[in-house]
Parts: sequence; C-alpha cells; structure tokens
Amino acid sequence: MVKRLLLFVPLAVSALLLQSYFWVPTFSDQVKGSEARLRQFINASTGDAQILNPVLLTDAASGDIADMVFNGLIDRDENLNYRGRLATSWEIYEEAYFVPRPGGPTAQALRERIERARAAGQPEWMRNVAKAEVIPPAEEKGSLAVPRRGQRGFDQVPFTVAYPERVKITLKEVDQDLFDRLKALLGAGAFAADPAPYLKGDLPGPARQQALAEIPLAEHNPVITFRLRKGVLFHDGREFSSRDVRFTYDAIMNPANLSPRTADYEPVKRVETPDRHTVRVTYKRLYSPAFGTWGMGMLPEHLLNEKALAEEARRLQRDPAKFTLRDSGFNRSPVGTGPFRFKEWRSDEVIRLVRFEKYWEGPAEYAEYISRIIPDALTQELAFYSGTVDSYTAGVHQVERLRKDPRFQVFSGLAFGYTYIGYNLRRAPFGDVRVRRALTMAVNTRQIQEFLLYGEAEDITGPFVKQSDHYDKSVKPLPYDPEGAERLLREAGWRKVNGVMQKDGKPLQFTLVTNHGNEVRKAIAVAVQDAWKKIGVEVKVDLVEWAVFIQKYINTLNYDAVILGWRMGLDPDLYQIWHSSQAGPGQLNFVGYSNPEADRLIIKIRQEYDLKKQVAYAHQLHRIIYADQPYTFLYVGKATGLLDRKIAIAERGPGGGTRYRKITATKTGNYTFHFNKWLKLPAVPRFEG
Amino acid sequence: MAAFIIRSIFFKMITLFIISVISFLIVHLAPGEPSQIDPLNPRFRKEDIARYRAAFDLDKPLHQQYYLFYKKFFTGELKSFKDNQPVMGKIWERFLNSLPIFIVGTILTWCLAFPMGVGAALRRRGAFDQATTFLSYLLISVPGFFLSYILIVLVVQGFSIGLPEMRFALMGLEISTPALHLTIAGLEVPVLGIRTFGQENAPAIYQVNDRLWHLVLPSLLGATGGIAFLSRYVRGQMIEVLDSDYIRTALSKGLPSDTVYYVHALRNAALPFVTMFGLLLPGLIGGSVIFETIFAWPGMGRMGYEAILARDFPIIISLNFIAAVLVIAGTFVSDVLYVIVDPRIRL
Repeated sequence: MVKRLLLFVPLAVSALLLQSYFWVPTFSDQVKGSEARLRQFINASTGDAQILNPVLLTDAASGDIADMVFNGLIDRDENLNYRGRLATSWEIYEEAYFVPRPGGPTAQALRERIERARAAGQPEWMRNVAKAEVIPPAEEKGSLAVPRRGQRGFDQVPFTVAYPERVKITLKEVDQDLFDRLKALLGAGAFAADPAPYLKGDLPGPARQQALAEIPLAEHNPVITFRLRKGVLFHDGREFSSRDVRFTYDAIMNPANLSPRTADYEPVKRVETPDRHTVRVTYKRLYSPAFGTWGMGMLPEHLLNEKALAEEARRLQRDPAKFTLRDSGFNRSPVGTGPFRFKEWRSDEVIRLVRFEKYWEGPAEYAEYISRIIPDALTQELAFYSGTVDSYTAGVHQVERLRKDPRFQVFSGLAFGYTYIGYNLRRAPFGDVRVRRALTMAVNTRQIQEFLLYGEAEDITGPFVKQSDHYDKSVKPLPYDPEGAERLLREAGWRKVNGVMQKDGKPLQFTLVTNHGNEVRKAIAVAVQDAWKKIGVEVKVDLVEWAVFIQKYINTLNYDAVILGWRMGLDPDLYQIWHSSQAGPGQLNFVGYSNPEADRLIIKIRQEYDLKKQVAYAHQLHRIIYADQPYTFLYVGKATGLLDRKIAIAERGPGGGTRYRKITATKTGNYTFHFNKWLKLPAVPRFEG
Repeated sequence: MAAFIIRSIFFKMITLFIISVISFLIVHLAPGEPSQIDPLNPRFRKEDIARYRAAFDLDKPLHQQYYLFYKKFFTGELKSFKDNQPVMGKIWERFLNSLPIFIVGTILTWCLAFPMGVGAALRRRGAFDQATTFLSYLLISVPGFFLSYILIVLVVQGFSIGLPEMRFALMGLEISTPALHLTIAGLEVPVLGIRTFGQENAPAIYQVNDRLWHLVLPSLLGATGGIAFLSRYVRGQMIEVLDSDYIRTALSKGLPSDTVYYVHALRNAALPFVTMFGLLLPGLIGGSVIFETIFAWPGMGRMGYEAILARDFPIIISLNFIAAVLVIAGTFVSDVLYVIVDPRIRL
C-alpha cells in the first residue's frame, strides 16, 4: 500500500500541476485575435512605484506614473524652452523694497527723487520702473531653523521684524542690479545698514545672529503671474482652478506632510489667487530656478483638503489629528488632470492607467498605459522579445545586440548628467592646477566611452546639461596627450625616478575611491589607474559600499580622488555643487572648489531672469571651471531605448484622415515626447521619404 | 511535560528579546539611511534632512527608538518609511503571495524526495541509485538563478542546437557529414509573474489553472535544493535502518519484502523527519529573493530585499522579528513532536 502511495502521489501532483499548461493562452495567441493589445502600451519597470503623489514622491518609478496622471502649470517643449500646460501664459515682474537710513532722507523724499528721475527718463534704466511708492510701517513674521545645541536636529524659532516706512519700487522686468543702480542715483548713505533696531523680541544669542543675517533691508521680490487654462477637468469631473494650485503649494509647505519638495518652494513669500484662473506668486528674493518648480503636478483640492482627510480618517478609524496627506489612500489611487486616469495598482506586479477621454489636449491614442514590474533585466529582455512588454530599461549592451534587428527601433539621446573624477583640492598635490590638467590629459576618455559604454557616451567639458543653451559648446576638451601630461608635471617640479614621479623626495601617489556595485565605475578606475601609471603616477583603487562611501569618505572630506556622477536638472543653478561656501563636511562641494570669479557668476546666474544674460554668465562660468579642472570630466552617457517597430506616431487630420509618422527623438534625445500620439499598428509600417 | 513547556517558553522569550535587540542594533548601526534622506540631492537642506529624521524617530537615542519601535509594532501603528502603509498589512499581503509557492514547493519536495530516497536505498549502488545521486549533487551545485534562466528560455523560446555540415578530406576521399539539428520547440506560454496578464475576464477554471501554471516553475526551482538534500537524507536513514538486526530478522523469518521495507523499515527511517515539520515554519516568511526577482513574483523575499536596499527599517526589523518568532516556535514544535512520536524520549 505504502509502496503504491509513494509512486502514485508524486505522479498525481505532477500531473495536476502540468495539466494547468493547457489552460494558459500562448504568447502568440495573446496578441493574435485580440485587438485590445494594440491599444495597450506595456512598459517593464525594474522597481515598483512607492507613492503616487507628485508632492511626496522621490523615486523614478513613481515619477514616471505621476507624469501620466498629473499635469504641472508648465513644462519643457522639444527645444527645452518652457511651455504652458495648465497655465496658458505668465508674466514676471519685480517689486523691490528698501529701508531708508535712520536720520537720512525720508522715504517720501527718496520716492520723489526716484519719481523725478523716472519722469525725466534719466538714467536709461528708469524706463524699467513702473511705479515708486512709500509703504507705511509694517510688521513681518518669519521663522528660522536653528541648529539644536549638542543634538542633531533643528528648532523652528519664530521672529518678528518691525519695518519703518519703506520705499517700494515696481519694475516691469526683474533687475538684479537695481540696488546698485539706486545707490548710484541716491548715494549709498540713503540705505539703512544695521538691521538690529528692527528685530523685535528677545531671541537667544545664536538665533539672534542668524535672524539679523536674514533680515533684508533691501529686498527683491520677483512676482510671477500665471493665467490658468479654462475648462480643464480632473479625472473625477471637477474643474481645475487656482484653488488647486494654492492647495498644492500649501501641501508642500505643510511640515506634517514631510514633502521632499519643500526646499524648492522655500523662496516663495506668498501665493495669491485673485480669481479662479489667476495665480500670483511672490518670492522673497531673486531665485530664477524657482520658475521651473511650477512643473510640479497639481493636486485636486476637493479630494484632499482638511475635511476630506478627516472624513477618510474616520472611515478608516484612525486618529484624524495624526492623519496627513502621507497617509491618504489618494497616494495609491491618484486623481489628476493628466492624459491617463489611474485604474489599478497591484504591489510589485502591475500599475494600470486608462486613457482620460476628456483630457484638455485631446485624448491619447493608447487606451491603456500599463507598467509591469519585472525586476530582472534578463527576464525583461525575454518578455520584450515575446511582445508582452513594449518597452524596457535596456542596458547599452542589450541595445547593441538588437540594434540591427528589423523587429525593433532603437533610440539614444544624451542623458542629463555626467561622470567625473573629483580631486580633493585641499590635499597636495591636487592644489596645483598643472597636476590636475596633467591627470586629465593622461586619461583617454574616448577609449572609456567606446569600450566601456559601447560608444553610447560623449565628451563633456562642463557642469551644465550638454544639450542646453547654458552649455558652452566652444570649450574644447583637453587632448589625450600622455607626453604633454608628463611635461606639465615636470613644469610643476616633479621628476621621474624609477618610473615614478617624485618631488622633494615624495612620490606622486594617491588613492582613488569609488562605490562598490557600479561595474562601469570599477572598470574606469582600473583604466585610469593604468593610464596614470604610464606617466609615473601611482594610484591605489578602493571600492567601498555606497553608504560607507558617502558617510566615511565624501561627507567627512576624507579622500584623495573619487569617481562619481551627477544627475542634473535643466536649471543652471550650480550653487550647492560649486560655490565655495558649500565646501564644508556633509556639503556637496566636497572637492573644495573655490574661485571668487566663479562664486560671483554662480550668484549672478541664480539671480538672473533674462535667459540671454543668464546664458552668457553660464558660458563664462563653464570656461572658468574647465580651465581650473577641479574634476576630470569623463563623459555624459546616453539614454537608450528600444521599441517594437510597429509603434508609430498617428497624426489625425482635421478631415478624419490619419497619417503615420516614424517616431523620432527630439533635439534633446527624448523619444517619448509625443507619447500621447503613439499607436501600435498590426504590422510594421513603411514610411515615405 | 508541562514543566518542560513552561521552562522552554521562558527561555525562548529571553532568546527572542535578545534577538530583537541585536537585529535592531545591526540595522541601525549599519551605515546608510532611509532612501528618503538623500545626502547627495542638492535640493535637500540640512533642516529638511533633520525633519525627516525626526519624523522617523531617528534623532532619538537608540534605546528610545527601540522602545518606540516595538510599541508601534505591537499596537499595529508601525508604518513603512517608503509609502506610509501599515507594515503588518504589507507583510500580510506579501505573505499571501508567497504562501502558494511555499506550499507547492513543500509538497513537491516531500513527495519527490521520499520515493527517490527510498528507491535509491533499496537499490543500493544500482543504476537508479547512481542516477539519483548524480542528480542530487547536480541540483545542489548548479546555482538556482542559472537553472531558472535555462528553464525560462527552454519553456518560452525552445531550444535549438545544431552541428553544421562538415566536409573534410581523409586519405584522398571527400567526406561530408550531414548537418545535425536538435530542436525543441518552446511552449510559448507566459511564465513570469503571478498570473497571465489580461486574463481578468476569463472563466474561473481558466484563472485557477493559470495561477497554478505560474506556480510550477518557481516552486519547482525553489524545491530543487530541498529535493536534492532531503532525498540524500532519506536514503541515508533508510540504509541505516535496513542494516539493522530486526530487518534482517524480519526478512529471514519469511515476511514479504515489501512489508518489511515499506512498513517496518520506512516507519523507523521516517521518524526523524516528523520533527522536520516544525522547522518548516520559518520558511513561511522567508520567500526567495532570487526566484521572486527572476520570476517577477510579488512576494515576501523581494519586499524584504527592496526594504534593505531602501533602508526601510520598519519592514526590515519586522520581517526579522517575525522570522525569529517562527524559528523559535518551529524548534518548539519539533521538540514536542519528538516527544510524541518517540516514546523513548522523556523530558
């Protein structure tokens, strides 16, 4: 009996499992006979989204989905210029205030002098002045984050400033040199210099110092007025209005929500909504990158306001006092104004979106956008072959393999970011620019790009996004020239002894550190080590786990040279990474770059609202940084993409005719720009021309 | 017996406490912070980072953090750093996903390993024994991820091995070999994930079988190691018993050999395995990082792995704690089972 059981049970179990095969549709079957598949776009994503709320998310997977579900006020067009989305137009002007010096000319007297100059049209810049007025004494409240003594953490300390009568000047366009010009007109003595008399109340010592430093006696207040698009609907049918913009801003600034975007909106002084379709944002100071932050997806106020959250908390039997935006079910079933409506999310399995028929720009071609979570790169590739996903995060080697395959189309465009070797400029011998140049000239970047990245990379010479206007294309990279590098080192006083460069009896040797787990960086380290050895520089390579790398090497500034990369946004603000004030432990200018001219330009750039002037400053800065070689800029990678060749762009003519066009990447290499017009055809189309 | 149970529970509670402290310390003292705190993001100010650390209780001394953590754990208030979802809910959801693999894998392991081991022991050094020995060592030594890829490619795309036609001259003679081709057609069925995509509207029987089919490969692969190991173990036990005097006695007094082997010998050889049931418990929470990743299975192992990468402390420590509870409960169950099945043991 037992003997039979031992035979029968395994056979029965196996048979039961294997018979299930006959119930499963095959791949070809799935695509055949089902028109619906042509209307679905299935993307394979390595990781699952975390939180589908644009003001809270930090990860790329959530960002991709949120971009489909939400719209911002603005975004970038094909040429990376701003274009309106939920806003149709905007204007930027400036309101400036200053406190007259106590005992000097009164505010009224100063106003009259400005008015006279304006009426006379002299000097030239007065044409930019729209109005000068005196505003009565006023109190303004502020708040400071003061480091807690002895402990990690900050305390919020409120403070009040009692301003006397001030002069307010309204400008038609933002002018960062306004106060310099006013000083020339009115004399430096007309301006108050000491903030102490205006700070009210008792503050503890350090907090008082910090508050005094923050009181602006002369302030620029740039103002952006957005006109909103009318008739835009949220997915639940409610109309989008200025209230939602205001709410989104408040949600970001609400400390209980722990939004990672708070710093972006910190320069905002106030957001006003004069009517349903106008939003006016006033800033505390000049900070031009702030404009781009209005690309943030807009939340529906009616679903997330205090009342709605309290209601939800009650339904879930949670404490309404502790229930924040972070806890809301909205983050797992979002409602926005975007081209796709949220339908379903099964954790680590799939996220499904369906087309929003009433999208303000017209409905998308695809009926569904599906993100399947497949964590393994190899199985993603297999799923792609079999047509169960239309797009996946293909590595450069995978793209190379399929480049010639007639079934697929391949795209590649420059990424926003670069990889570099950073030198600790505080340490010898990196203080000498000749040594840094020599190290750069000894490295064959072309070879790295070709052999490590399959040619999917390009040279880069500066800290700006290469395809943006701010990048100065006229800066020529240093040549690959090992002999020239040796000459430079000799100039700097180094002599080759037994094949190793020496100076004052000390050999030229240091340690190059990078993070463990990044195969490309590891290979770069080896290539560079070999290249430097040839010019007599001895380098030890060290690979360290990421968290240790950041905590023990970067944050404590305890390293000689590192291989790292920066991912960049399009705004040209370089303050955190390149300004000399940001070179302390735990800050991002960890190489310790310091150049007064560069500092000046960095400030100029973040305060400039005129694109042309900003670009001119950026080009200057780019040249200075490249000449200083604080980094060896290695390459900018390319973002690669693979698609089924049957996917094309459909252009619907006004008469109902449809033309199909090949998908092409924009100037910046973004091939998904026209995604809403994509469509999968039953067979590979032929395009004319 | 009652005294043993009470004593045992007492010591196990102490062990559990020590484990909870150690696992808490390891997670917190290891370098790295929750991925929400990104030190290399130029947009983050010092006070933003401080705000996050305060919200996650990370600014408090470790003993306070420990207390707060377990307080929230036991009151069910614990939330993931990642998405603010309650930790217990997340773990339960993933547990239900991993459970089928565990059950099918366990069934496969036990019902394949026993016949294999017993068969091999009865035909010692015969062809069957040699074959299963070879297979066992093969399964133990080939890495699971490699086997998975091979199986996926085989099932989905099929296999084609070819030898081209070759021509060569031998002693003035032109010789040509025929081209050889071995082609196994692939089944072309989906194997990734927990179910076939877009089958929501199919009849129930299709859906059930679809789920079952998706279980086959991952649970088979998950079971390979167990089958290999367990069948060797069964073989060893069986051989030991077969060599003992009472089996020789039973055989020589003329009992049918099937009765001797399958009733007398097997019952005694199987005794140690009863206790192994208790040790199965911790497997419930483990899940398999490798198989779940390759097969895109939304299970527990993957959640744990991703939590570690993102330093999602509440998930990591909770999983660890639950695993510790299950291991301790498992050893307890197997102790008790031992007493029950083997009357010679007195506690």
